[in-house]
Amino acid sequence: MTPARFIARQSLAGLTRDRSVLILIAFFAAMVLVTAWLGWSATNTVNAIYADAATYLSASGQPVPPNPVSQTASLAVLRNLGVYISLIGAFGSIVIGQLLIETDRRAGTLPLIGARPFERRDLALGKMRALVTATGAMMAVAGIISVATLVTIPSLVVGPGDLLRLALFLVAGWAYITIFGFLALGAAARMPATASGLIAATVVWLVVTFVLPELTANVHPTAAINPVSTLANTPDLGFFHVMSRVLGPLSLAEGFAWLSGDLLSFLPDGLAPRGPIPPAVTLSVALILAGLFAARSAAKLDLNAGGPDA
Amino acid sequence: MTNIIPAVSTTGLSKSYGDTVVLHPLTLDVPKGEVFGFLGHNGAGKTTTIRLLTTLLAPSSGTTRVAGHDVVSDPLKVRAAIGYLPENVRLYDRFTTRENLTFFARLSGVANPVDAVRETLDFLDIAPLADRRVGTFSKGMRQRVGLAQAILHAPQVLFLDEPTSGLDPMGVRQLREIIEKLHARGMTIFMNTHLLSEVARSCTSIGVLAHGKLVFHDSMQAVADKYDERSLEDLYVGVAARTPEVAA
Repeated sequence: MTPARFIARQSLAGLTRDRSVLILIAFFAAMVLVTAWLGWSATNTVNAIYADAATYLSASGQPVPPNPVSQTASLAVLRNLGVYISLIGAFGSIVIGQLLIETDRRAGTLPLIGARPFERRDLALGKMRALVTATGAMMAVAGIISVATLVTIPSLVVGPGDLLRLALFLVAGWAYITIFGFLALGAAARMPATASGLIAATVVWLVVTFVLPELTANVHPTAAINPVSTLANTPDLGFFHVMSRVLGPLSLAEGFAWLSGDLLSFLPDGLAPRGPIPPAVTLSVALILAGLFAARSAAKLDLNAGGPDA
Repeated sequence: MTNIIPAVSTTGLSKSYGDTVVLHPLTLDVPKGEVFGFLGHNGAGKTTTIRLLTTLLAPSSGTTRVAGHDVVSDPLKVRAAIGYLPENVRLYDRFTTRENLTFFARLSGVANPVDAVRETLDFLDIAPLADRRVGTFSKGMRQRVGLAQAILHAPQVLFLDEPTSGLDPMGVRQLREIIEKLHARGMTIFMNTHLLSEVARSCTSIGVLAHGKLVFHDSMQAVADKYDERSLEDLYVGVAARTPEVAA
């Protein structure tokens, strides 16, 4: 095993013993369950109403229209999942990214690690590996709950194509939340004050989630937490058209919402992504840039517990 | 008993932060097998010196070799040859002693971490603490576990930064006994301390740092020969007081 793997393993073990992380992940899992329940409940309600209506129409000799559930893509029952990933998932990732640095700083173990015979880049790689694994575990939880939901709703037909789209959606969700985790990790490594990294990454997350959508498409903060209203068309005003093109590539929350709608098949017909660059590209580029920031910052982490306090 | 290549050798080693000089050019040799006591007032530059020697800080100038390796051009070899106990070591509170030590043994590249941890726990007589969480420990117990992480890979040179800080008299005595045992094994020990009584009992040579300058360096035997009518405290106060603070 390499030093990076030892560091990743130790960091992950530390996260599993941190109550705040466990609470956040449990909350995330609970909200995914709520998403699943909402989808399951709405589908069952529609099915029940349709069954009653079909019985009545048959009895009165009228033609029975097709079940609206069968007209909707199966994955659309998970439409709320994207919102919880972009809100709770991303914030959880920020907390984890910050804790990966803060735990060692608080424990006073950075000098002990720094006096060990391995390259500084291994420390960065180990921390990043731990983050990637933790966010991957969060998305795996979301995936398991989602598949269980799809399987337990009898009227839904889920084919291999749907599962592939769900897998791609989970990968996109993982990339999205990991971006913020990398930012928090890098900011925590660069800023010696305890909460600075957390605050810096949270500010970026708030801007991406609530401010940019308002500038590009007049999507108000309350609407930004709605999976459907987030996917509004750009208002027909010059300002928003310009801002949409300029800020669209930076508006990662909107990019992820568009990808969610596309992959889970609830994207309104003809809705184009904000800006000229496809969201999959902007998310990938953002992930790479955030990863480079985290790697560079963690490799230059001050391993002395404090300043020049000789 | 000394070997030809010193365990620690600095020539003009210095450290500055902007215009503030924390350590003036330091030239110092610590032979192998010595227990070197590095004395100095608060803020004299002792911790900075240890951080430079352990590769945690980059020097502003000068050359430094630890265990025969250059700290700038060959930091990995230096780190492989040293153990380090910082002042006020804490460790991972939520992990047991064994888990903490196994992690650091692995990072040090120890071939068999399980055996190394067990042997170190036995050597320091802290085997009963092995499966207890470090977060529940007193300062003295924590210090011993901290010392365990510093020696479990059998380093050639051990750096101790104020190892007796905050320890009760029993803890100080136990630490002294451990240092004597490590010295008997041939380990070179470089120890920052304020405790002159410990220097007198444990060290084979001393250096005094005042305002970032080395103002005294000699063997304890020479100190005893030259200053037999004076206490170590008088010597320390005398040499430290003669050195005015140097404006940066």
